[in-house]
Amino acid sequence: MHRSGKALTPSGWRKIGQSLFLLLFLVLFVNTDYAGVDELNWAVNLLFRIDPFLALAAMLAAKTVIALMLPALITLGLTLLFGRFFCGWICPMGTLIDASRRLFARANTLLPEPGQRPWKYALLLFLLTAALFGLPLAGYIDPFSLLVRGLTFAVHPGFDHAITSLFTWTYQEAPAWINSLTEPIYALLKRFVLPFSDKVYTLSVLSFLLLLGVLALNFVESRFFCRKVCPLGALLALTARFSLVRLAGGSAECGQCRQCRAVCPMAAIDETRTIAVPECTLCLECMTHCPRSRIHFGFLPIGNGKQGPNLPRRAMLASFAAGALAPLALPTRPHARHAESTLIRPPGALTEQAFLGQCVRCGECMKVCIGNALHATWLEAGLEGIFTPRLIGRIGYCEYNCTLCGQVCPTGAIRPLSKVEKHAVVIGRAHFDKNRCLPYASGTPCIVCEEHCPTPDKAIKFREVEVTNSNGEQVRVRQPYVVDRLCIGCGICEHKCPLEGEAAVLVTSAGQSRHPDQNIRDGY
Amino acid sequence: MNRRQFIRDVFLWSAGTTLAIPQFTILPEALAAEKPSALLSIAKGGDYAGLVQRVLAPLGGMGHFVRPGDRVVVKPNIGWDRSPEQAANTHPQVVQAVVRQALEAGAKKVLVFDRTCNEQRRCYANSGIEQAIRELGDSRATIEHIDSRKFVPVQIVKGKSLTQWEIYKDALDCDCYINLPVAKHHGLSRLTLGLKNSMGVIGGNRGSLHHDLGQSLADLATVIKPKLTIIDATRILLNNGPQGGDLKDVRRTDTLIASADPVAADAYATTLFDLPPYAIESTVAAARMGLGEMALDRITVLEG
Repeated sequence: MHRSGKALTPSGWRKIGQSLFLLLFLVLFVNTDYAGVDELNWAVNLLFRIDPFLALAAMLAAKTVIALMLPALITLGLTLLFGRFFCGWICPMGTLIDASRRLFARANTLLPEPGQRPWKYALLLFLLTAALFGLPLAGYIDPFSLLVRGLTFAVHPGFDHAITSLFTWTYQEAPAWINSLTEPIYALLKRFVLPFSDKVYTLSVLSFLLLLGVLALNFVESRFFCRKVCPLGALLALTARFSLVRLAGGSAECGQCRQCRAVCPMAAIDETRTIAVPECTLCLECMTHCPRSRIHFGFLPIGNGKQGPNLPRRAMLASFAAGALAPLALPTRPHARHAESTLIRPPGALTEQAFLGQCVRCGECMKVCIGNALHATWLEAGLEGIFTPRLIGRIGYCEYNCTLCGQVCPTGAIRPLSKVEKHAVVIGRAHFDKNRCLPYASGTPCIVCEEHCPTPDKAIKFREVEVTNSNGEQVRVRQPYVVDRLCIGCGICEHKCPLEGEAAVLVTSAGQSRHPDQNIRDGY
Repeated sequence: MNRRQFIRDVFLWSAGTTLAIPQFTILPEALAAEKPSALLSIAKGGDYAGLVQRVLAPLGGMGHFVRPGDRVVVKPNIGWDRSPEQAANTHPQVVQAVVRQALEAGAKKVLVFDRTCNEQRRCYANSGIEQAIRELGDSRATIEHIDSRKFVPVQIVKGKSLTQWEIYKDALDCDCYINLPVAKHHGLSRLTLGLKNSMGVIGGNRGSLHHDLGQSLADLATVIKPKLTIIDATRILLNNGPQGGDLKDVRRTDTLIASADPVAADAYATTLFDLPPYAIESTVAAARMGLGEMALDRITVLEG
């Protein structure tokens, strides 16, 4: 800052605010994890619950009021008072975009053109209409969903891997005096920053690239995503038109410097130095840089003609029509009749259509999943199912007594279950591949699946039989089988099966209790 | 330090680490010479803290096994996300009392850990064992989650089924290793006792051991050698083991068994389930390898 360091500039205050909210977000993010007790009180779902865009999309899809998402009204209420302060001060994606601007800046970065950016409104309208008519896509582009997915699937585990590799190397190769320095650092990182255990995620690279892409749009123009794409920003901009407190002060006659225009990252200030309220994020750069200190907060009359979303009527109709008509194509796909049998949803998930509608693709259930069992779906649930959670038994299993995914789901797409309720929820069912299962295939004793089966009356039981084993000897072995009425589909048998490659006991969504008829829709 | 010096140092450090695999061989014959006859102690009672003291008294008390300044490992079974009354894990009060006894005997450090089957943190929390160690309020006693960096490949020279496996460094590198299993039902080995409890200190794909479980456990017993085995039979799981979950399968027996002979401890504990020692393959295999005594008539049973 060119002013001496005595007093903080207004934009300096904003940066402190942004940093604090980013820190709060990161603390919540890291703590979205098992903490030694069954109930989790604080999680990063707070952030999603104050997101009015996701709230609206989820409620339109569910066609009901979702109580969990009502805190989003607070954001809207504050926006009616202060405009788009949320984008400038609170949104962690906005903060990261600001912080990374220098990384992507180039000498000839285009000075953003002031004026309204109608296309984000078109996107907003399309997404909300589509949500209402049964094509839920809001979570793909919501800034928090993009951010938390990127962090959960790629950044956090990647960081963990790098740090752990470093400290494994020092632990195994370095002399003791080095370890006396490095081990306490590692212990601290393990305790406060890194995930408890190493995790893997499907679609991690894609999620990372999407996050990187949002930040890299700075390369085109500053805050490109916020100004031209973000549907949450669009919703807040629509609300901000009516805000009470707003920045103003410049005028066509105020001077020739145009400093305010040059520093405004949102390009919200036009040639006459009028600040467009829907675009202003209250970052206070103009206030800081105005040589005459003309810019100030004030209560100002609502809107002049220029403040509307300015979306051409034709574009508005097109967005609406696209949102309303696109869902018509969905029932033409085979999985409208036959659900993909490997698509095992978390316990407490609503029936598939309601689940897809309410899931905002935030990735929190996958972050908190203690067994690293939940993974991002690719196309198994259709184009609209990408990034929704599914259990992949070979990678991880659903821990019998754990109920965390339902606790962190911000929209109730996964219902919170008590431990007793969860024990009764069937998410799928195991079956044996007798061609590979050792006691069947080679007469070799093995009971690892039965040993780990968590139901008090085990869902895997044995028949003791006499067989000729691979060595031609007559032996008695115990051959496992699944008792369907006891199996809940947790996947621990598939996860622990000691065979290389694919397990000999496999879980599919057959028998899932959320809609018992789904798997036999086309049956006899 | 300049860069060149740094690189030279790095090479120097790594020069020391070859691909050599540490060998831990203590001849069973030598141990047998130390212990002419298998002594075993049994105690019954509802006060588990006192019970630990009583069961150790006939063997010379904890002081006979833990010397002042020793680094001690206590290895309970914390394998499952189950509560103490469900009898899948060692009773937390028993673990606490054993650790306390070791501390009172002058141990410099007592480390408690297990490589769990369910998620580590849930097992440590819901078994009550983490809390029990914390309640001791002694900085020498720690309970640690498994650190995967600490598994080292070990040659099992005498092994018949296993010749090499990854074993947790702390279990090998201590002055006194106390094995503290819970006695319970198991679908393959029929019972899980002391020898089976050693599976909690090994790395790798443990499931593959089940193909020849009895011999594998005996092979492991040639390198993982507890100075003391205390079998927790305060309550025993009679069915749906090893993790249970139904209190109908649990019988309260208020019993502890202790011995310096790991095979004798297992052999005797088998009788609590109305089974003969030879019903457990690992006991038979270990006795055949000379790792201890399984004949009940050659085990001196002392009542504590």
